[in-house]
Amino acid sequence: MTEHRDEPTTASPAGRTHTLGLLYPPAGRNQVYTTMQLAFIGGVAESATRHGYDLLLSPAATDDDPSFRRMVGEEPAYGGPRVDGVIVMEIRREDDRVEHLAATGFPFVAIGRNHRADAVGWVDLDFAGLASGCVRHLADLGHRGIVFVNRSEQLFDSGYGFARLGDEGYTEAMTQLGLVPRAYLCGDDLASGEEVVERILLDDPMTTSMVTQNEAALEGVYRGLTRHGRSVPRDFSVVGVAASPWAEQVSPQLTAAEIPTKEMTRAAVELMVERLRKPGAPPRHVLLRPLITLRASTGPCRSVPGSEPEPEFPEFDIDF
Amino acid sequence: MGWSEGARRMLGHSPPDIVGRAVTDLLAGPEPPAGFLPLGSREWSGTAVLRHRDGHPVEFTLLVDPLLGGDGAAQGFVVTAMTGRPAESEPDRRLREWAFAQSSIALSAYPASTSPGAGAADSASPGSRQPHAVAEGDEQAPTATDEGFLRCVRRVAEDARPMRYEHFAPAPPTASARQRTWIVELWPVRDPDTGEVVGVGTAAFDSSEHHSARQRLALLNEAGTRVGTTLNVTRTAQELADLAVPRLADFVSVDLLDSVMCGEEPTPGPVDADVVLRRVAQQFSAEGAAETAVDLGETDAYPSFSPPARSLVSGQPVLSGADDPDFVRWISQDAARSALARKYGYHSIIATPLRARGTTLGVAVFLRTDGSEPFQQDDLIVAEELAGRAAVGVDNARRYTRERTNALTLQRSLLPRDLPKQAAVEAVYRYLPAGTGAGVGGDWFDVVPLSGTRVALVVGDVVGHGIHASATMGRLRTAVRTLADVDLPPDELLTHLDDLVIHLTSDDDTVDSRFRDDTGEIGATCLYAVYDPVSRVCTMASAGHIPPAVLLPDGTVSVVRLTPGPLLGVGGLPFEATELELPEGSLLAFCTDGLIEARDRDITLGLERLCEALASPVPSLEVTCDAILKALLSDSPADDVALLLARTRALHADQVAAWALPSDPAIVADARAQASRQLALWGLEDAAFVTELVVSELVTNAIRYGAVPIGLRLIRDRTLICEVSDASSTAPHLRRARTYDEGGRGLHMVAQLTQGWGTRQTATGKTIWAEQPLPVS
Repeated sequence: MTEHRDEPTTASPAGRTHTLGLLYPPAGRNQVYTTMQLAFIGGVAESATRHGYDLLLSPAATDDDPSFRRMVGEEPAYGGPRVDGVIVMEIRREDDRVEHLAATGFPFVAIGRNHRADAVGWVDLDFAGLASGCVRHLADLGHRGIVFVNRSEQLFDSGYGFARLGDEGYTEAMTQLGLVPRAYLCGDDLASGEEVVERILLDDPMTTSMVTQNEAALEGVYRGLTRHGRSVPRDFSVVGVAASPWAEQVSPQLTAAEIPTKEMTRAAVELMVERLRKPGAPPRHVLLRPLITLRASTGPCRSVPGSEPEPEFPEFDIDF
Repeated sequence: MGWSEGARRMLGHSPPDIVGRAVTDLLAGPEPPAGFLPLGSREWSGTAVLRHRDGHPVEFTLLVDPLLGGDGAAQGFVVTAMTGRPAESEPDRRLREWAFAQSSIALSAYPASTSPGAGAADSASPGSRQPHAVAEGDEQAPTATDEGFLRCVRRVAEDARPMRYEHFAPAPPTASARQRTWIVELWPVRDPDTGEVVGVGTAAFDSSEHHSARQRLALLNEAGTRVGTTLNVTRTAQELADLAVPRLADFVSVDLLDSVMCGEEPTPGPVDADVVLRRVAQQFSAEGAAETAVDLGETDAYPSFSPPARSLVSGQPVLSGADDPDFVRWISQDAARSALARKYGYHSIIATPLRARGTTLGVAVFLRTDGSEPFQQDDLIVAEELAGRAAVGVDNARRYTRERTNALTLQRSLLPRDLPKQAAVEAVYRYLPAGTGAGVGGDWFDVVPLSGTRVALVVGDVVGHGIHASATMGRLRTAVRTLADVDLPPDELLTHLDDLVIHLTSDDDTVDSRFRDDTGEIGATCLYAVYDPVSRVCTMASAGHIPPAVLLPDGTVSVVRLTPGPLLGVGGLPFEATELELPEGSLLAFCTDGLIEARDRDITLGLERLCEALASPVPSLEVTCDAILKALLSDSPADDVALLLARTRALHADQVAAWALPSDPAIVADARAQASRQLALWGLEDAAFVTELVVSELVTNAIRYGAVPIGLRLIRDRTLICEVSDASSTAPHLRRARTYDEGGRGLHMVAQLTQGWGTRQTATGKTIWAEQPLPVS
């Protein structure tokens, strides 16, 4: 794997601790971190090391979490701040950790964004743009019945940025195309994936395609489609937003906008280091818009099986 | 025992006085007449001096006839005596006897009374006379010891009819020495008075001359059937040597001009003495004597005074031998040669040039060893005639070989020599021309790299043989390459090729009708397959060609089910493409009917055999190729054979990246960034600048002029390929244009910055591609 390499010699740590903190949300329902989350954590650690920093991890969901407080030096029993700056991952729209950091002026950078983070540096994916791109890809292939499968209701309601942004991007793109948006929330597990397909096809049997940013439910989605006699990509196209190795491990391989974890974590650490070196510099924002990688799960729109008679083999005019 | 009245008158004895007394009492001297033996069963005649009753000696001519008993033994003798001269005068009788004795032919007489019976053999000798003329060969003339001859004598005596008997002397120790033969005329001798057969007369003629003349004639006659049976130069020369030994010579060598062996056109007329010759054939009479001064296949030059060189220069045969100082000088000059000459006793030589149609091709040398007679003038004529026939054979073979080599060279020049470098398949091929006699063929095959790391695999066959078939093949192959370069899908390509063949047929009236099929068109078949290592899909279309066989990595082997399609040149009928998804490492075998069809099997069985051969485990493609040819072909295939094996490779996810692009000008920057990220992932940051430019231009064009869906693809293989496809089939106006009028300078820049660019039509639109060399690592 070739990465943009920063020579450690050029990066003399500006702070005192020579350590960066990474705040990431606690594991989800099954107490298991997703591949993508782990890729982010690993990516940040790698980049930090290259810049001469160690990494301190904290799965703190709120600003009153003791581990958060210890990290930023607000637990007197533990002395001063244990890190020079904090990278906050998977931030919510309203995020008290970010509020707290901003209020105390503790240096931080966000992976993800909200109105508060705009004041500092952030790196994010254009989830709205990605969802919108997925819709347009399907529309380009001739699909009209396009649904959106989002993350769980719990995540959506708690205000996770990309869940909201994805939904917005999808809805906007559908509206622009003059199509009816139909978004579904879905648990991050296999059974929920099967179940959401039930609902989708019950609501409209003419549905021929799906945009999903719920990778955990995808196996279930495939299973549900198979149960309904829809073969991917012949009868049903699925396009997603997902991390690269995972999208290649399902069958058929998922056509998806890849989340460039390496790129994002590298950018986050660079923003952090910049901020530590030049505290007064204006904040920089990195918005990545990865393209949809074509794999095997999308195809041209065909009529839904059984919905209309099979067209006769077209009569070609031989006079070409 | 008896005494006649005549006897009483001649000697005075009366029968009572004489009967019972010994015959020897009548003799005047104590010795019996020379040669008379009163024993045995032979008759005898001669002169004897007998004593008259009154005591004076009287000379008589006596004829003594034995009286034989039942057992063949003499029981007594009848002695007939004539006083003074016999019935004829003494000089006449002597003259006749002398003439008989001194006859130039071997005359003999055998009494009939003694035959049949074993005794007849013994009685023959006294009467036989050997002619002086053949004195040295006397012992070889037919004698009473020859059973066959005696049988003949008896038959003449019995049948009273003349006969002719041919006698061969025992074969001489060296084969080329002259064999003596005799023709013996036998006739019955009758008593003129009684007409009874009283004996057999024989006359033996030496017919050795006739015999050897007949032998020479037979040799020449045989040369007509045994020399020049093939169109092979060396074989023809060897046939000459084989025929002439041992019947004409004990050692024969045939040397051809080295230039002739190299396929050069010899110059008419005699050649220089110092010309380089190559030994192409030799033969020895003696077993085990395989020593020569020049080994087979080696070159040598004869010194100018040597008989072979003299014959080459003069163009005439040369007869020489131990009495010729030049021969002696030549032999002694070379140590090896003189040792051989001593060992085998070479003493006589004929060197005759091999000349045909006014050109000298080489020289044949005939040698005789000890035990053979020296060559005679007659042998010289035979040798010259033999050499002449061989020369015509050699010249025919030489001309044929040259023409065939030319034709094969032409055909080979029309076929690919080295397969082009490409990464889609590992390919090996074999092309075998048909066996001699069938002429060059029209089989061809090709491997054409296509854009996007794809590869076209082609195999085709023009019906018929000969230069025309090859030339047509060359045209079709070029056409296929050109059409492949335009990147037509297989079925469409065959349609264009079909049109081309129809045009070729109508344009070219000179094409011999033999090279056309029944409908008057050029008969040709073709199979065109395109393999894409990214999708691992092989798309093929066939124009009446034999389908390929495929061996999957799991070991299953089958013949690809294809719509056979019409022959090229029929026109009007559609070609159908068949798609086949192949696991990585599948082995495709394309061939022509020469491999599949044979006298002993049809196509189905041939394809089965091909599948079997393909499935047997072998270490490499090269070995597989050879194994297939070995399994399916005879030594001399009747048709030419092309075999192309291709093992598929696949490009993996780490070598290919493809993205979908919305038709939105804002996406261009994202596409550029994405391409850049991908290059960083591949470690190809050096190519980022050009790639971003190419991506910008191509994506912008696709968004501006193309139709959705739009795709961007990067392939990292032997080169870095950037492809942008869209659903519009409208390609840039000028393919490979250096200037691009319609779209500004975009494509011009792409053309400048990249190694190559082009467009291809796809099932869903078109693809524009640009290729950059990979940075040297």
